[in-house]
Parts: sequence; C-alpha cells; structure tokens
Amino acid sequence: MLRASVIERLAIATASTALALLIGVTIVAAAGYDPVQFITSMLQGALGGQSAVARTLRFSTLFILTGVAVAVAFRAGVFNIGVQGQFVVGGFMTIMSIVWTAPLLPEGAVGGVGLILIGFVAGAGSGGLYGALPGALKAYADANVIITTIMLNFIATGVVGWLVQNPFRGEGNAAPNTERIPEYVSFPSILFDSSGFSIVGLAIALAVVAVIYVVMERSRFGYDMVTSGHQESAATYSGVDAKRTVVSTMTLSGMVAGIAGAVFAIMIQGYYTDPSGIGTYGFDAIAVSLLAANNPLGIIPAGLLFGGLESAGSHIGIYTDVPVQLIDGVIGLVILFVAVPELFRMAAVRTGLGGEKR
Amino acid sequence: MEGITKRFGDVVANDDVDFSVEKGSIHALLGENGSGKTTLMSVLYGLYEKNAGTVSIDGEPREFESPRDAMDAGVGMIHQHFQLVETMTVLQNIVLGREPTEMGLVDTSTARSDIEEICSRYDFHVDQYLDTKVQDLDLGARQRVEIVKSLYRGADILILDEPTAVLTPQEIEDLLDLMEELADAGHSLVFITHKLGEALDAADEVTVLRDGRAIGTVDAAGTTEAELARMMVGREVQFDRPPRDPPEGDFVLNAEGLHVRGSRGLERVTDVDLGVREGEILGIAGVQGNGQTELVEALTGLRDVDSGTVRLNGEDITEANRRHRIDAGIAYIPEDRTTEGLVQDYTLVRNALLGNQTVEPFADGGMIDWSVVNDHAEAIIREYDVQPPDEGAKAKSLSGGNQQKFIVGREIEHDPDVMIASHPTRGVDIGSIEFIHDRLLELRDAGMGILVVSSKLDEIQKLADRIAVMYEGEFMDTVDPETTTEEELGLLMAGHDAGSGHGGGAGDDAPDGGSGRE
Repeated sequence: MLRASVIERLAIATASTALALLIGVTIVAAAGYDPVQFITSMLQGALGGQSAVARTLRFSTLFILTGVAVAVAFRAGVFNIGVQGQFVVGGFMTIMSIVWTAPLLPEGAVGGVGLILIGFVAGAGSGGLYGALPGALKAYADANVIITTIMLNFIATGVVGWLVQNPFRGEGNAAPNTERIPEYVSFPSILFDSSGFSIVGLAIALAVVAVIYVVMERSRFGYDMVTSGHQESAATYSGVDAKRTVVSTMTLSGMVAGIAGAVFAIMIQGYYTDPSGIGTYGFDAIAVSLLAANNPLGIIPAGLLFGGLESAGSHIGIYTDVPVQLIDGVIGLVILFVAVPELFRMAAVRTGLGGEKR
Repeated sequence: MEGITKRFGDVVANDDVDFSVEKGSIHALLGENGSGKTTLMSVLYGLYEKNAGTVSIDGEPREFESPRDAMDAGVGMIHQHFQLVETMTVLQNIVLGREPTEMGLVDTSTARSDIEEICSRYDFHVDQYLDTKVQDLDLGARQRVEIVKSLYRGADILILDEPTAVLTPQEIEDLLDLMEELADAGHSLVFITHKLGEALDAADEVTVLRDGRAIGTVDAAGTTEAELARMMVGREVQFDRPPRDPPEGDFVLNAEGLHVRGSRGLERVTDVDLGVREGEILGIAGVQGNGQTELVEALTGLRDVDSGTVRLNGEDITEANRRHRIDAGIAYIPEDRTTEGLVQDYTLVRNALLGNQTVEPFADGGMIDWSVVNDHAEAIIREYDVQPPDEGAKAKSLSGGNQQKFIVGREIEHDPDVMIASHPTRGVDIGSIEFIHDRLLELRDAGMGILVVSSKLDEIQKLADRIAVMYEGEFMDTVDPETTTEEELGLLMAGHDAGSGHGGGAGDDAPDGGSGRE
C-alpha cells in the first residue's frame, strides 16, 4: 500500500470518528443528558488511569487478533464471517486441553509455560480446522462462504454452550462453566497489575500481526492468496490452485481466530462459559478489518480505536446515568461512519457495480 | 445512424460508424467479439451516450438518454443475457414497467388480452404459459418472452444481441422463422452475430464491423461466407513474410484426439490432433469462437479435457495442473491481458512475479526475494521497450500495447520449451505488433516451439510455418502458408472443407490448399 493512501486513510478514519462522535453527542444531548460529561467520561473510560488503559488494551488485544483473522480472509477475497465461531471453538479447546493435560505436567512456572503452549496449539489448531471446514465446502461443493460461516457461528455457540453445561461442566459449579485452569497457567503481570490484562497478551497479538504481515507481503503463499483476492483469473493463469487457496486461507484465518480465542481464555477468563455471553469480538473484528483496509499493520491502530471505544462504553455504562443502549448506539455510529463506506467500496469493486474500473 | 463514435476512456469502441436499417428488413451486424457490435446497438438503445454522430428514426434525428427514451421511440433490444425476473410469471415479466392499471392496481385481464392479441399475430406460443414462472421455461421460450415483451412495449425496431448463442439448432431454426415473420409484418430487425452462416441465412443485408469501424454493408444474396470472413478478420497491415527453411526438429508439444467442453458444458473442441516442432510456429487460424480458446486452455492446463492426451517433449501431461505445466516449460501469452495476464491493481514489479512464484531466484523456500523480482521487472521493461519505463507503475495505467509487451517479455524470460500465444497482438498498436512479431520469430529461430492462435489472417500468414484452420471445434485442414491464398483460408475458416479431409495430424505434411466448393 502506498504511503499517501495510508495517511489519507488515517485522516478519513479520524475525521469520521470525530463526526460520528459529534452526532452521537448531539443525540445524547437531545435525549437530555449532559454532553460534556459524556465526552469526559468517554475519555476517562478509555485512557483515564492505569486500570482504564489496561481495560482498553485488553479489548484492543482481542480486536487486533480477531481483526487480523478477518483481514487475512478478506485480502484473499474470502468473506469469512465466521471468526466469532472459530474464536469460540479455539478458546474452548484451549481451556479443555489445559484442563486435560494439567495433571501430566509439573506444577509451577515450567508446567505453566508448557500448558500455555499446549493451549495455544489446541486453540490455533481447532480454530484452523473450524475455518477449514467452510473453506473446503466452498472449494469442493461451491457452498457460499458467507452463509456457511454464519451458520457455523451458531453451531459453535450452541454446541460449546451445551458442552459447558453438560459433559464438561466443572464439578460443583452452579453456573454453566468448565473447570478452572490452574492458577499457575497465566500470563505474568508486567507493567500492568490488572486482572484480565497482561502485556504478554498484547505482545502475542503484535507478534501475530508481524507474522501475518510477513506472510502476506513476502511469502509465495501470501502472494498467491492476495492475487486470488485481487483478480482470480490472473491467479489461476499464474498457476495458483484456486480451490486449495480458499481452504488454506480459511485455515490460516481460523488459526488466528483460534489464537484470539486462546488469549481470551487464558488471559481473561481462566475457564470457559456459555459463549452466547462472552461478547462479539469476531463480529466487531469485521469492522476493525474494514477500517484498516484489511492491511495487517493498519489493524493495530484500528484495534486500539475499537478497544478504546469498547472500554469507554463499559465505563460510561457504570459511572453515568446514560443508558447503555445510547452508548452502544454511539459506538454503532462510529462503526457506521468509519467502516461501512469501506464495506460498500469493497462490495462495489467485487460485484463490478462501481468503484474502481477493472 | 451516422458517424457514430463511442469512446471508453482512451479506447475507441465505435469509430465514425454509419449504419442504417430499412423498414421491414432483417439486418445482420457481423463482427468478432470486441469489434463494437454491441456497443453500437447500445448507443441506439440509449444505454450508452455517444461521443459523436446522429441517430435518426424514420428520418427524424433523435437523442436517447435512456433505454426508456429508446423504447418510447419504438426501439427494443433483446440482450444476450435475458433481462427477466425468474421468480415471476411470464405475464408479470411482460408487463413489468408498463403495467396497465385500474385504480392503482395492475389490471391483469387487460394485460392478458393485450398479450394474447400480440401472440395471435405471430407464431409465438407464449400465451400458453402466461402464468408459468420464467424459471420453469427453457431458453428458447424465455427468448420469445423477451421478444413479446419488446413488442408489448410497442417496438418497431428490434435488436437481437447474439440471440442464437444459447439455443439448440432446432430453437435457432424456429427463431429465424419467427424473425422472418416479424420482418414481413413490417418490423425492422437488427441481428447481432459473429456466425457467418446465420448472418447469410437470416438477413437481407449484412454490415461488417471490425475494430470499431464499419467495413462495409453487403446484400446477403450477393455475397459469400468467404467474403464475409475476409471482411471480418481484415488485413489492414500488410506484413512481409520473412523467408525461412522448413522446420525439421522434434515435436515438443503434441495433442491427440482432444475433446474439450466449454463453460456451458457443450463440446467446443472435437477430436483435435496437433503437433508443434522445435523451431516451428504452428498457427491456428479461424473466426473467433470456434473452440480456439478452449483448445488453448486445455493445452496450458487451465481447462480439463474430456478425452485425449497432451504431451510435452513426449511426456504425458494431460493430468498435470497449470503450475506443473509452467514449471515444465510451457509459457503462455493469454488471450485476455486485462483479466489473466496482468493483475491490474498491481505494480509491474508485482506483476513480474505472476507465474514465477515457484521459480528461483525469485522465490526460494516459499519466501519471495522482492529485490530480485524488482530487477527482473526493470530488465523486462528495458529489453521489451515498455513505456513508461517505471516498474512502480500499476499495470492498469499502461496502454494495451505496453501491457502486452510486458507480458510477452515476462513469458519469454521464463526460458520455456514451448510458447503458446493467444491473439498476441490484439488491440495492440502497429509498432508493438512488429516488435512482438519480431520477438516470436527470434524465438522460433532459436529453436523454440511456438503455437500462435490468431484470427488475423495476415498475422498468421506472416508468422506461421504451418497453418491449422479451426472451425466449430475441429481442424478443417493444415496448410502451408507459402502456397495458400487468403481466399482459400477464408473458405476454410467459413467451414468449407478444402477437399483433403480434416484433422491436420501431428505428423502430416502440409497438404495443398486445394480449392473450395464455391
């Protein structure tokens, strides 16, 4: 991507965020709440103090990881709407693999690191498989990826929900939760002393961004993938197997979603619960990725922005009397303003109804 | 229509075209794909705004800003892809946009009687299934629905864009009968086609378009398929055929008994045998759409074959995929540089890697060395005179000729054993044409086996050592360009067997051209 268009994109994102907030605040004022207090609370919630920053970074970590998962697929022209499902399956398998293998490893730091590694392998592997499934359905049965991935989201939520309630409910748990993973299986608290956030989680997210960036820009696989996304006929001409590329793209995307699930499970939860109540990171990630024009490096600022908004929203919900629905509405406006135009542009280019001329 | 000019950006799709249709006649508009037929008719139908020229109907100049204006003036167009709502009934489709209403509601009974009235005048059989959903009809019936729809809207002039492309032979016959009936009843019909036979059968007059220009209008009764074929493919640039020795090298590329299906599932290549020797250019001539595309795709690994074998240096590669064939030494200059040969949004550097993803030193162990690719792009640009010489420019910013030179350079630099070039100079300026021809002849002299597909006779005659003529999926004959005249080639391209049987075999010596039947 050209440097000029990066600056342009940042300017557009900033301007549309500001405009969306302005309209949002107007609505807040019209509804009879104090707009100045609303703005201050937002800033307070996103950046005011160490715990607010930790909360922002916690959300950002997840948005960056899930955002990259979406970006990988979108760049290859595969509309993976199933990141949420892959995220859930990955997270659940992370917890279960740690719970199952914990008795086999020594307790303490060594065992902890080992179990974290096992958890990540299980998370990435299961997320990857869960992504490969709709990829294979697309490649070999011509099933629409958008539809199959959306349906697989429901299946993931439903099945994992049932599993945590029935066969895998932890002993003596009243709530539908799995057993907890051992205390020593956690990321160390460096810089931030906050439950639910460790700088290690963010570092993992940034490392994944770096790896994906190198894969997309420097590897043959990435070139094949991105070329397929740009112009499938040219990719086929150059010897790319379109079917295999769809499957491997979806696998890679699902693996990243699975890693996001693993970070969520280990860093935030420590156990797994009914996935219908864990948040919609996999869906919000679509907006994150679109805002970043599906560029892995762009995902970092986009993820930080969304993390800040999410964090501000949860703060306002607790400390002001502005109704939660109104806050969600304002965040929705921001998404609408910054991400949706990009979505339409992509759809227009893809369907040939407008946008850039081929 | 007089002096019609239509440009898309820098591309001139129609260049000062005159075209007129007499009332109550059928006029065929003949030309290859991309010659500007559909564009010209879209101007008449108000879909495109012309850059210059006048459209007159019944002697009165008209300006159409939209198809609705054209319809109001009595012009109807039946598109190649039907414009019907499949989940709605025939009746609903016919009245769509022109519903007779009573108190704001669609008056179905008036609509029904109006349609039945139209149908009773001609042999349509559409009134039998007014309440059937369009999705349940076969393609021939859908087409009749389209025609009735145009008539319902009061069309006097009917434009049919490649109406026979999707039909079975029986349906084509019915359609041609129907067209005659409509013409007898005083309608004027424009029949867009690239099939010579149909144009002669159906039309009273034929206008041939080539490269956006009207080449001429002839009486269908006073012309032959061979003449039309020659008008279609033309010979604007006279190329001198350089002297050469007959090639005697080993065969590098062979195909035996190839049968290939097209995208619609119909057989497009029927029992084709061919062989390309080292140091030889085999030319495949023919009017476009006679199976050349499918044949080339089967040879390059882009399309599966139904039966038959493809061999490279004697090795059976019928089952080998595209990647394997690239690695084995088949280079390919594709028919469509904009969708296949180049990624339009990529820079020339990124495009230089296209097809080279597995080739060292560009990629080693799955990682790409962009600095080597960058040097490679610069080298291609320098040696193949690509303008502007900027490897960071996006492919879409280059002119057609320069895009093509870049592709030719990239494919030659593969150092292949076989080069397959499909319409290597289509839409390319004359300077670049000469340049590309010279490169291909150099490669031939260096011992490469080359297959050139072209519908330009002059190009084929200049380049080829042997010419195979393709018609309706079969090789009509393989002839020697030294002893064959354009007339003879024209006849073969129009499907007239020159007398020596078809199937220019791999080992056949070029037979004489022979003489046609007419």
